[in-house]
Amino acid sequence: MKQQRGFTAVAGCLWAAVAFSMIFGAALIEAPARAITILDAEPVSLADGREVYEHICQGCHMPDGGGAIGAGHYPALAKNRNLASRQFMALTLLMGRRNMPAFGAKHAIAQIGRPAVLTDVQIAAVINYVRMHFGNHYTDAITAAEVAALDPAAAPGVDSH
Amino acid sequence: MIGLSAGSTAMYQAMYSLGLAAETSFQEPIRLGEAPRGASVLVLGAGMAGLVAAYELRNAGYQVQVLEYNERAGGRNWTLRGGDRYTELGGETQECRFDPGLYINPGPWRLPYHHRGMLSYCKRLGVALEPFVQINHNAYLHNSNAFGGKPQRLRAVKADYHGHIAELLAKATQGHALDADVNAGDREVLLDSLRWWGALDKDYKFSKGAQSSERRGFDRHPGGGLSARPVPSEPVGVSDVLNSGLWAALPLGELYDMQTTMFQPVGGMGQVGQAFARELGPLIRYNAKVVEIHQDARGVSAIFEDRNAGTGRQTAQADWCICTIPLSILGQIPMNVGTPMTEAIAAVPYSTGLKVGLQFKRRFWEQDEEIYGGITYTSLPIGQISYPSSHFFAQGKGVLLGAYIWDMLNSESFSSMTPAQRVAKAVEYGGQIHPQYAREFDNGIAVAWHRVPFAMGCFGIWSDATRDRHYDNLCAFDGRIVLAGEHASYMPAWQEGAVTSALDAIGRLHQRALAAGAST
Repeated sequence: MKQQRGFTAVAGCLWAAVAFSMIFGAALIEAPARAITILDAEPVSLADGREVYEHICQGCHMPDGGGAIGAGHYPALAKNRNLASRQFMALTLLMGRRNMPAFGAKHAIAQIGRPAVLTDVQIAAVINYVRMHFGNHYTDAITAAEVAALDPAAAPGVDSH
Repeated sequence: MIGLSAGSTAMYQAMYSLGLAAETSFQEPIRLGEAPRGASVLVLGAGMAGLVAAYELRNAGYQVQVLEYNERAGGRNWTLRGGDRYTELGGETQECRFDPGLYINPGPWRLPYHHRGMLSYCKRLGVALEPFVQINHNAYLHNSNAFGGKPQRLRAVKADYHGHIAELLAKATQGHALDADVNAGDREVLLDSLRWWGALDKDYKFSKGAQSSERRGFDRHPGGGLSARPVPSEPVGVSDVLNSGLWAALPLGELYDMQTTMFQPVGGMGQVGQAFARELGPLIRYNAKVVEIHQDARGVSAIFEDRNAGTGRQTAQADWCICTIPLSILGQIPMNVGTPMTEAIAAVPYSTGLKVGLQFKRRFWEQDEEIYGGITYTSLPIGQISYPSSHFFAQGKGVLLGAYIWDMLNSESFSSMTPAQRVAKAVEYGGQIHPQYAREFDNGIAVAWHRVPFAMGCFGIWSDATRDRHYDNLCAFDGRIVLAGEHASYMPAWQEGAVTSALDAIGRLHQRALAAGAST
């Protein structure tokens, strides 16, 4: 299982990213001797799938899992047959899909340079939550170990699709 | 809790790779030449890229039609004012309740002096510009984990950081630690420069006194008469300065894209889109939702639905198509282009950036704290507070940017809230920096870009690897279709990227149109 990643980061970078535009190639630098926290986080529970959903996923997929339609659409998770594959969901969360950013650590760093991502435990928890809510009833839960095993090697700049 | 966990030592340095400090490719005048007789272009999207393309192509004599999803032009070039209504994905409608003349730019809000394309169109279309205050030495740097959470004035942090670095360097120089790199003659010059740069005293120390206070400010400022004698302020120790992390924010205003002078359109960034709309008039068809794009040997057609009429599908046709629809949406629209462009469209995730505009009953940041424009940077999830760059000293209410969240998890968290919750959170967090918030707050409006119906994301995020593999394929013509927009540029999120990508696209389109015209 991966180490929980926090919002602790060594300075500049993050604020640079926060502040301006354009960080779009990001590189992982070796861990320094000491980290300084310069970014506070909205609190999210570590392993509660529902909390992860309500803090992150519902921003696009909506509180009722219904998705949304504008010039394009966000797919509904309610009664979505793609959810039959827990592996599909895990890969989507790990690597992102189209405009949805990656949440797996290696992919998120390579893709958008973001330091804060979901752990395998959280990814498994939210998958299991979604697959048992919003009218879904898939009883084959996924484990964090299975998420980790599914995670493809992410060379720097792995593609998101 | 996610985050704030001890022991996480990974350091991620955002590298300013390709394009960050790229000079705009814009050159005046735009001389496209004359369009082949009867040649037509369909422009999809009336954001900055689509507007520029349509304007220049029309001027060159092309028959132009623009399809726009919204009932207004501009796309992410957008200003919310009192009376405006905005419905986000999910169906929640916010009514902006700002006082007359007050506004927020949910999208782009500032123009570097070297974004010559944007500035040029502002001049040509009569959009008045005024200074945008990026750097304010009297605004705050704030880390809730440093100085007991008390915000620090930028000038003090800057003075202390530079002062201590200068003192350390002077010490090393005097101790002959740098002799291998600095010869005896240069050493004196280096020491002189360190003393001046770091505001050191005669002993090359960064100490409490006139020199340091001229940079960081006095406890009692010099004045006239008997009460005039200044009282210097106490510099913060080097360890506190370093461990505050606040030095991280110091170079922000020194980045090429943020260097002074920056500009903003008088009355809001949306003035640019509106000016183009006036210029193009009936060439833009509003409320047109594109649902399919098809090309063949003779031309391109876009099938669209009128969002108001509900009269079924209609078709617009032309010889060529400039498609500026954000990739977040374009990837969902059936379009018969080849695999390289299709894969490129799918390869770009979108930022979840988010802004909150807050109206207060008075401009307390000016009246109480002498902050006139500029930006406070904070470790809090709101990221920044930006003070208005116009109408200084005005009585009455004022609007500031109460949150501008780049961090993706925090912006995702905010996006997951209702608009009212986002506003309430912005007020709660901002109140840790400005205690006046609680008393003076009036109303607010929040725009989460992943919930914006016409964008579904703030801007396209590229990595070096995705650029290497997909960027050229994204920008290359596929048959009669070419893409443009900030996503098709090395200046992501900047409007100048949209402008220059549009000009690049129409230049190539024109060459193809000429070649096709000559062959028929």
